[in-house]
Amino acid sequence: MTLTITLIALLVTMALALIRAIKGPTVYDRILASNALGTKTVLMIAVLGFVVGDPELYIDIALMYVLIGFIGTVAVLKVSEFGNLGQPQSRTDPEDT
Amino acid sequence: MLIETVNIVLLALLAVTAIAAVRLHDLFAVAMMFSIYSLLAAAMFVLLDAVDVAFTEAAVGVGISTVLMLGTIGLVGRHEQPSTRRSLLPLAVVIATGAALIYGTLDMPFFGDPTAPVHQHVAPFYITGSPSQTGVPNVVTSILASYRGYDTLGELAVIFTAGVGVLALLGLRRRKRPGKEETTK
Amino acid sequence: MSGVLDVLSVVLLAIGTLFTLIGGIGLLRLPDVFTRLHGASVTDTLGAGAILLGLALAAGWSLLMGKIIALLLIMALLSPSTAHALARAAIHGIRKPWLDEAQK
Repeated sequence: MTLTITLIALLVTMALALIRAIKGPTVYDRILASNALGTKTVLMIAVLGFVVGDPELYIDIALMYVLIGFIGTVAVLKVSEFGNLGQPQSRTDPEDT
Repeated sequence: MLIETVNIVLLALLAVTAIAAVRLHDLFAVAMMFSIYSLLAAAMFVLLDAVDVAFTEAAVGVGISTVLMLGTIGLVGRHEQPSTRRSLLPLAVVIATGAALIYGTLDMPFFGDPTAPVHQHVAPFYITGSPSQTGVPNVVTSILASYRGYDTLGELAVIFTAGVGVLALLGLRRRKRPGKEETTK
Repeated sequence: MSGVLDVLSVVLLAIGTLFTLIGGIGLLRLPDVFTRLHGASVTDTLGAGAILLGLALAAGWSLLMGKIIALLLIMALLSPSTAHALARAAIHGIRKPWLDEAQK
C-alpha cells in the first residue's frame, strides 16, 4: 500500500519535473529538470521492483541508471559551460572567464 | 492493474515530451527533451521486462546520443532556422501513412495472443530450451547474447565504428578553432 | 522485532514520498534556477535517501539490502556533485541569481 502511494508520488513528481523541463526558461532549468527526472526514474524502478516482486533485477537496473544519468548530466553541463566536451584548449575560449 | 496505470502515465509523459521536442525551437532544449524521452522509454522497457533493450536505451539515449547531439550543436549553433513554408502537404502525407499503418495492424493478432503464428513456430523451442541450453534465466537475454551472439557482436562492431566516425568528425573541426594547434595540422 | 522494522520501513517510505512531492512542487514553483536547485536537492538527498532506506529495511538482511545501500551511497555522492556542477555552470552562464525585491 505504502509502495503504491510512493510510486504514484514519484510519477506525479516526474510529471512536475517534465513541466519544468518544457517551460524552461533557461538551459539550466531544463538540465536540472532532466536530472531530477533521472533520479525519479531510478527511484521508481527501485520501488517497482518491490511492487512487481523481483527486486534483485530491478535494483541492478537502477544502479546502472544512476551512473549513466550522472555521466550524461556532467557531459551536458560541460558543453553548456565550455561550449564543448572539455578538450583542454577550450579553457582559453573568450566566454570562459 | 497498478502496472498498467504506470504504463499509461509513462506513455502520456512520452507523448508530452515528444510534442514539446517538436514545438521547441532552442536546439539545446530539444536535445534535453530527447534525453528525457529516452529515460522514460527506458523505464517503459523495464516495465515490459525487456531488460537488455532498457540497458541499451539508457546507455545510448541518455548517455551517448545526448553527448553527440550537444557536440553537433556546438558546431552548428543553438537556434533552429525559422521555417517560412506552410507544411500542409507533409502533414497530409504523414497522416495518410500513419492511417495506412494503423489499418495494417488491424489484421495482426492481438498483443500477447498465444495462438498467434509467431508464438507457434520456433518460440516454444527457445522458451522451453533456453534455461537448460544456455543457463540464462531471462529468455530475451539468452536469445540476444547466446543464440544470436555473433549477430550482437556484429551490431556492436557497427555501432562502435559509427561512434568513432562521428567523434572523429566532431573532433576534427573543433581542434582548428582555438588557433593554437595550427602547426600540427 | 520484524514488526518494528516493517513499521520503520513504512514510516521512512512515507517521509521519502512526502519530501519527493515537496521537492517536485518546489521544482515547479520556485522563481529561478538557484532556488529550484533547493527543490531538486530535497528530493535527491532526503527523499531518495528515505525511500531507499525504507526499501532496504523491507528487503531484510541480504545481498539485496547491500545493493540498495550501494545505490544509496552512489546517489549520496553523485547528487551533490551534480547540483554543484549545475550551480557552477549556471552562475557562469546567468551571473545574476534571483533576489527578493527588498534586497535588490
